Amino acid sequence: MLMNSPTSKTLTTFQPTSSTISFTVSTRPVPKTLPALLGFYLSILVRGLIGAFTLVILLLKSRAGFEQSTKALQWVFGLVFETWLVKTTETLQWRYLAPGALLMLWLVFRRGYTEESLTLLRGLGLQTSTSSSTYLRTPTTRFIPTTRIQDIFIHEAFKGFEVRFYLAIVVKDEKDVVVVFPTLRPRRAILEEVWRGARACLYGSGEKG
Amino acid sequence: MPYNIAMFCDFFFPQPGGVESHIYQLSSKLIDRGHKVVIVTHAYAGRTGVRYLTNGLKVYHVPFFVIYRETSFPTVFSFFPIFRNIVIREQIEIVHGHGSLSSFCLEAILHARTMGLRTVFTDHSLFGFADAASILTNKLLKFILSDVDHVICVSHTCKENTVLRASLDPLMVSVIPNAVVAENFRPLSYTSRDPHHRSAPGPPQPLGPHDTITIVVISRLFYNKGTDLLIAAIPRILATHPNVRFIIAGSGPKAIDLEQTIERNVLQDRVSLLGPVRHEEVRDVMVQGQIYLHPSLTEAFGTVIVEAASCGLYVVCTRVGGIPEVLPSHMTEFAKPEEDDIVEATGRAIAKLREGKVRTELFHNQVKQMYSWTDVAQRTERVYDGISGVLSHDDFYQGAGAGGGWSATRGRAGIQSFALIERLKRYYGCGIWAGKLFCLCVIVDYLLYVLLEIFAPRSHIDIARNWPQKDLKAEKEKDMDSSKDGSGIGRKRSSRHRREK
Repeated sequence: MLMNSPTSKTLTTFQPTSSTISFTVSTRPVPKTLPALLGFYLSILVRGLIGAFTLVILLLKSRAGFEQSTKALQWVFGLVFETWLVKTTETLQWRYLAPGALLMLWLVFRRGYTEESLTLLRGLGLQTSTSSSTYLRTPTTRFIPTTRIQDIFIHEAFKGFEVRFYLAIVVKDEKDVVVVFPTLRPRRAILEEVWRGARACLYGSGEKG
Repeated sequence: MPYNIAMFCDFFFPQPGGVESHIYQLSSKLIDRGHKVVIVTHAYAGRTGVRYLTNGLKVYHVPFFVIYRETSFPTVFSFFPIFRNIVIREQIEIVHGHGSLSSFCLEAILHARTMGLRTVFTDHSLFGFADAASILTNKLLKFILSDVDHVICVSHTCKENTVLRASLDPLMVSVIPNAVVAENFRPLSYTSRDPHHRSAPGPPQPLGPHDTITIVVISRLFYNKGTDLLIAAIPRILATHPNVRFIIAGSGPKAIDLEQTIERNVLQDRVSLLGPVRHEEVRDVMVQGQIYLHPSLTEAFGTVIVEAASCGLYVVCTRVGGIPEVLPSHMTEFAKPEEDDIVEATGRAIAKLREGKVRTELFHNQVKQMYSWTDVAQRTERVYDGISGVLSHDDFYQGAGAGGGWSATRGRAGIQSFALIERLKRYYGCGIWAGKLFCLCVIVDYLLYVLLEIFAPRSHIDIARNWPQKDLKAEKEKDMDSSKDGSGIGRKRSSRHRREK
């Protein structure tokens, strides 16, 4: 990747108690204005509809193969639409339908943003998490107990054609450090804020530098 | 005024060598003088990424492909994105390249000029003009140095060589020798820590005719270091002088030849091979001997002979390159770079030592007065001042005649103009075909720069934090003011005040 991704990364800090803090870096756009908010909900609706429609077509096709009744569909959509739908489904061949449906479903379930977070619990440990690319899978998480955390620091490294800052955690008895926010790689300002908060949470008020 | 300087070189630690320690010492002394210095080199085995050395010296080990003797593959344009990124994030103003064999450094200078930065090039080595490799290197050097602000050479011989190779104006080439950290190269008998309380040197103690004289050789065992001469000379020297032994440290492709010679002549008990030694251990090896033999075939400066002299060793060396300039004649015995003469010169040196004619115990303090890195850094800083236009043209090029009169491409302030057309003019003069080729390269480079500015905008690059500097700024300011009047190095404070931090 030659350049930084153009999408803006936002940092959300959530601190329910003084000994717990969670930093979330996300590329998800936060809708603020009314049209944006409407558009956001509309897109969810459209996604849901497309998903349902694709499933119905798939269902129909499989039923058509077994010549089963489509009564339920008739009851939902009405007779005219049902006959048209059944006809179209019958003309469609599996070899086009299957990939098309898969693509549709993938688009529906695709997560349009990445979210990565670092949650710290004083005295317990910390957990890093990276959201998955689809809504179907849970995020990848990793918990590191306090006793195994040796240090947390910001350093620089070559990544592609540039030098990037990263926040890393040194874990006892492990060869490699654990990089926080590995996919988003937020900028220095965000990293520094997280680092300060993390140190304050892990080591009490020991805020250095 | 503090500058942000980036040193570009293929050769750096963990690899040992003269260029490497030159860059390190110069950088750390420049940092002491309040500048910010980063070093950019290619990745070594197990050493990639960003590292910090003592004193907040930041080193970028750029992951790149290495072809020959730790020189990176000349990929003219592929380095540009990383180069630009580093330069922007470190807010570099001056790019200082080292070593003409380092394609890394040459590329950096080209890109730096495209980006509108001041460039300095330090040449550490001498080259021939005849063989194909030299012709190619020289052409490349000429290309790169067509548009450089200033060139520094480590010795006058080196300057002459570089001026001829790169067709430079001798005025834009300065000579700043290497130096040694004399404290790290104390002779064995050096006890008095306080230089003011030096007892007068006692009478010389000549070595008896049967005392063993140890000859030390520390060099990488390459052809250009004269290892072949050494291999030829060792059996003859040992045959003529019974109470002499050799200690040889270093490694390289010629090591196998050396071992064979020793085995063939059954000299294992008189020649000890130590293999590679670390730079910190060099002194401990040196003080075991009385004579240092340096049979190099080509050498621009030869830091190692200064180190040897500082350790109180009498130096036998070949009269090649910049070596004759390095040490005063009473510390050295010169030889022609041929077998017979080296044997003879070594014989003379042994005889002198046995007669007690040489006061090797005084060498250390003499060397200490001659060479210091602080002085090197100060002189380099003056070059930086000169190219940035802080020093006026007349001050910087003393005796250059009318200011700016000697080069049409120079601006009124006597500094190289960055305009593309001016740069193209300079490159075009490189040769009938080469000139056009070089111009093409420069144009491609420029277009690449424009593309990068569009697709990887500056605003997306984080500025790196500076290493917290020691609080000697106020101290330094005072110190500079007092040294300002009447000092030969007329450092002028100008209106160029930036980044008050």
